[in-house]
Amino acid sequence: MKELWKNRLRRHQVDQFKYLRLIFNDNFVLAFIVLIGALGFWYSNFLGTIKHELLMGKPVVILILLLITQVGRIATLLEDPDSTFLLVKEKEFYQYFKSALNYSITIPVVAIVIVNFLLSPFAFTAAGLSILDICLIAAGLVFFKLTFLNIEMFKIYGQEQISGMNLKLILNIFLVVSLIISVYWFSPVTLIIGLITFVIAQMNNKKICESGQMQWQQAISDENQRMFRVKRFYNLFTDVPGVNSKIKRRKWLDFVFNGIKPVQKNTYLYLFARGFVRNNEYIGLFMRLTVIQAIMLALIDNFYISLIVEMLFIYLVGFQLKPYFKEVMLNMMQRLYPVTGKDKITDFTKLSVFVLCVQWIISAIAIFYKFGLSVNSLIIIAAGLAVLLFVGYFYMPRQLKKYLDNGAY
Amino acid sequence: MTLEIKELTGGYGQVSVLKKETFTVEDGQVVGLIGLNGAGKSTTIKHIIGLLTPRSGQILIDGMSLHDNVEAYRKKIAYVPEMPILYPELTLKEHIEMTIMAYGLDHDKTWENANELLKTFRLDNKLDWFPQNFSKGMKQKVMIVCAFMTDARLFIIDEPFTGLDPLAVNDLLNIVESKKQAGCSVLMSTHILATVQNHADKFVLLNHGQVRADGTMDQLKDKFDMKDANLDDIYIKMSNEDL
Repeated sequence: MKELWKNRLRRHQVDQFKYLRLIFNDNFVLAFIVLIGALGFWYSNFLGTIKHELLMGKPVVILILLLITQVGRIATLLEDPDSTFLLVKEKEFYQYFKSALNYSITIPVVAIVIVNFLLSPFAFTAAGLSILDICLIAAGLVFFKLTFLNIEMFKIYGQEQISGMNLKLILNIFLVVSLIISVYWFSPVTLIIGLITFVIAQMNNKKICESGQMQWQQAISDENQRMFRVKRFYNLFTDVPGVNSKIKRRKWLDFVFNGIKPVQKNTYLYLFARGFVRNNEYIGLFMRLTVIQAIMLALIDNFYISLIVEMLFIYLVGFQLKPYFKEVMLNMMQRLYPVTGKDKITDFTKLSVFVLCVQWIISAIAIFYKFGLSVNSLIIIAAGLAVLLFVGYFYMPRQLKKYLDNGAY
Repeated sequence: MTLEIKELTGGYGQVSVLKKETFTVEDGQVVGLIGLNGAGKSTTIKHIIGLLTPRSGQILIDGMSLHDNVEAYRKKIAYVPEMPILYPELTLKEHIEMTIMAYGLDHDKTWENANELLKTFRLDNKLDWFPQNFSKGMKQKVMIVCAFMTDARLFIIDEPFTGLDPLAVNDLLNIVESKKQAGCSVLMSTHILATVQNHADKFVLLNHGQVRADGTMDQLKDKFDMKDANLDDIYIKMSNEDL
């Protein structure tokens, strides 16, 4: 079992590195540098304005710390066929999950440390906490997180409840209470309570797990869900195979399709438009980027940064739409339809131009809000339009044609 | 409608699965394509519909190859794959709409056909469902509806009888029969020999990518020299020839 875990972990890590390499090669990372830069700039300005303790300081610190402790799940690396092939090994899986638990600690701990580090200047000035207080609380959070992971391991064995009470909920209540006490009155409380819950969970781990029954279906679907979230995150930056996104009907958006006439040359526009609206992946991507862009444009009052943000984000949405075309082209049925490749490209271009136009209009509103009706805002908006036209009528058709010509589609 | 396959050699990548395969499907004929797993049934079908390109040999529909006129060739064929492939983001109703658009069919007339088929397969109350809510058999029925509502002349069905309930199998056979009466041709690959024996006019027996024998039931009995045999016996005899 130890060997199985090691094998899986190695494969998992190779996979992760592959994606990380792709992310850091991609031009999408530029957007995040700009975003982090803008946020950092805003944060340091904001810190400069705080001169004395704020009323909201302590509740904000508690909320952020509470949220960061929820980050990170146990990575079991279970796979679908396990429930058939490894069923006989059920007893030995306990060791496997122990290894999984140990491995899963790293990321939450790093997250807790980084957030505490970033939060410390704010906690120091606005909430009146000393550096020692912050360190004590951070250590306490780490133990709480360890207990949370233990509870997740109990859940694999169907033991997430004890006499009708949800363990995770109870622990969260403990966490909130200890955080409040720590931040307002006596900082070591989080550490003390965290340590106690951890020791109890750890000591009883084996007993609790053995008294339960391993919930294969649940555990595997939980792990699939977790991997899906991770991959969806990577998918923001690069193509990840095997990310099946969720489909929602969104009937109230049906009016968007009314403009599409049911004639043969619109066959693919019919499909693309519905796919874009209903596939969470693509509409989600568009919404996220558009909202981030609008917020940034509404906050930043530097002309050049706004110009870059406007152009970059329109390009990015166009760029990120491309995989959707490829996804549809992988469906075998579309190759049997008597529709030419040229029509497919034209239809996809129509969709992307429409989507980018919506984004462009929203960003224009944000720009007018910040810069008013001025030459600067008109320049930014015109630059956005130029990128839109470039992506829609030049870049996209060429890229798609190259794709169709390369494969036998 | 006639389908002619002449000396077809092809397969995936460098591996030739099919070796000089030759057979024809005539007007108004139902032909059963029969062979063991890996004999080349699905590969043959993929070549006919143009998902794979032959290494050598010809595939002609009414004397026309895929290369001559892609769109006209494709309009003549309707295909039901072994594994149903649907668009995850379209509802059942929209799949039908899209097929109508893609084939440039008459909207109202095709919907009439489609409604009849939907009723036959008890799908008429599921028009707004997404593929993810369908079982495998239901997905297969959707594929059948989308294929048989077109005015294609050649229907190719890959393993139609697995996954369908007995009632649906019966309904499908009736539809095949009526298409045959209308002068269309049907090519189906299957392992369910008893069913195909009663419903096909002609059989093509594939073994290792070659046509071992083809013809009507009587012709096959002669070829294998088995007087009172049924298709099962012939099939087993063919399989044992390798040993």
